[in-house]
Amino acid sequence: MLTTRGLGKSFGGKTVLRDVNVDIAPGTITCVIGPSGTGKTTLLRALSLLDLPDSGVISLDGQDYSFPLQQGAAITPAPWPKLTAVFQSLFLWPHLTLRENILLPARNIDAAKAEKDIEGLIAFFEMQGFIDSYPNQASIGQRQRVAMARALILNPRYLLLDEITSALDVEQTVKILTKLGHLKERNIGVFLITHQIGFARKSADQIVFMDGGTVAERGGPDILDAPKTARLQQFLSAVHEVY
Amino acid sequence: MSVLDILMNYYPAFLSGLWVTMQLSLIIWGSGIVVGGGLGILGARYRIYIGLPSRTVSFLLSGVPILVFLFWLHYPAQAMFDVVIDPFYTGAFTLSVINIFSVADIVRGALVDFPQQYLTAAKVTGLTREQTIFKIQIPLILREILPPLLLLQVMMLHTTLFTSLISVEEIFRAAQRINAQIYRPVEIYTALGVFFLAVCLPVNGFALWLKGRYTRDLSER
Ligand SMILES: Nc1ncnc2c1ncn2[C@@H]1O[C@H](COP(=O)(O)OP(=O)(O)OP(=O)(O)O)[C@@H](O)[C@H]1O
Ligand SMILES: [Mg+2]
Repeated sequence: MLTTRGLGKSFGGKTVLRDVNVDIAPGTITCVIGPSGTGKTTLLRALSLLDLPDSGVISLDGQDYSFPLQQGAAITPAPWPKLTAVFQSLFLWPHLTLRENILLPARNIDAAKAEKDIEGLIAFFEMQGFIDSYPNQASIGQRQRVAMARALILNPRYLLLDEITSALDVEQTVKILTKLGHLKERNIGVFLITHQIGFARKSADQIVFMDGGTVAERGGPDILDAPKTARLQQFLSAVHEVY
Repeated sequence: MSVLDILMNYYPAFLSGLWVTMQLSLIIWGSGIVVGGGLGILGARYRIYIGLPSRTVSFLLSGVPILVFLFWLHYPAQAMFDVVIDPFYTGAFTLSVINIFSVADIVRGALVDFPQQYLTAAKVTGLTREQTIFKIQIPLILREILPPLLLLQVMMLHTTLFTSLISVEEIFRAAQRINAQIYRPVEIYTALGVFFLAVCLPVNGFALWLKGRYTRDLSER
């Protein structure tokens, strides 16, 4: 279980997260929705234990990390790549080919298996045509698939994803989202920031609606059809106007 | 008398000048890369206590013409302390100081501006500390600093000619001496020019090639 209790964070006096509590169980998909600038990415980065929160506790399968950390302390034990993330801006290493981007961390776990697994991922995400080029030679959608493959090949227990389908066409989006469905069977806990309300309705076990740095509403996919708060209702009706 | 004849007749003088130039250059390059590299790394790590003073010194140095600095250390400084130092050492020291602070500037800048997101990606995918340093940081930083570093070293080789003015017997002074004997400025300075072209152009070309190649690799669309 990956949980947060009372998570808070501010940037120079501006509070961005306020008392956030979320629970992510293995083998479930949590979809985070909400307006832009409400702290979704900030929450994901805190959960990844990289941009640390100012207060609260993050607990990863019984291992507690309390904040603030003591002066000069580091995150120990290091939770990565058992806990891993794909960020909104991907962060592929520019001097390595896309294939090397995927293989470099994967070889740490099992070198022989990595060489085999990557072929499956290349076929699944249809990356044959560009896998040996450099990140700057690939389109954003291609890079999103590579970043996704780089995380998946690590076999994480918890996978945090920040709008990773934003630049993909409908077919590729369906592919990635289908892949996330398979992750459930492998008992991986997925935390996904998305604007695909349709996907959230179909596949999510839990919906978290963020607004103004707090969890404004949460529940099963049914809250998307019968929101309890006026704010979520308002957000959804705006979404429905576009889609 | 052709260039070839001059070289045949006066090659011992040329060679000894060349040897002094090489010694000067090796001292300047070596100290610049080793000490300057170290100073740059320390300056990036301890920004206030080392980075700031070293930046200040290099800023001040950039405002003093090399020749003035060289002459000042040669005459007034030595008169002030009442010492006489072999001009070779004065020259090597002066140019080393300049190279050290210039290299430190390049190295510190690349380290300080290193894009943190690549380290974030390394962390979250579980790379070890060593892997992060050797597979991510060093390759990316080398791509960034190698071209300006090479160009700087070529420039430092050129500045060794200034030491002829405090009578270091390096190649330019050797050429001047021979010219004073046989008065063949066209041939002698042509030969000198060709020599420097042959040494410097490949290095400059290599630096430009590296720059073109890696800038392409790194720029995101
Ligand atoms: N490093 C930072 N320094 C200062 N303010 C920040 C920083 N990072 C985020 N913020 C602020 O925190 C708030 C939440 O940002 P965040 O990126 O978490 O939003 P988001 O919900 O992910 O939005 P989007 O849907 O547009 O990606 C924003 O108001 C943003 O300006
Ligand atoms: Mg965001």
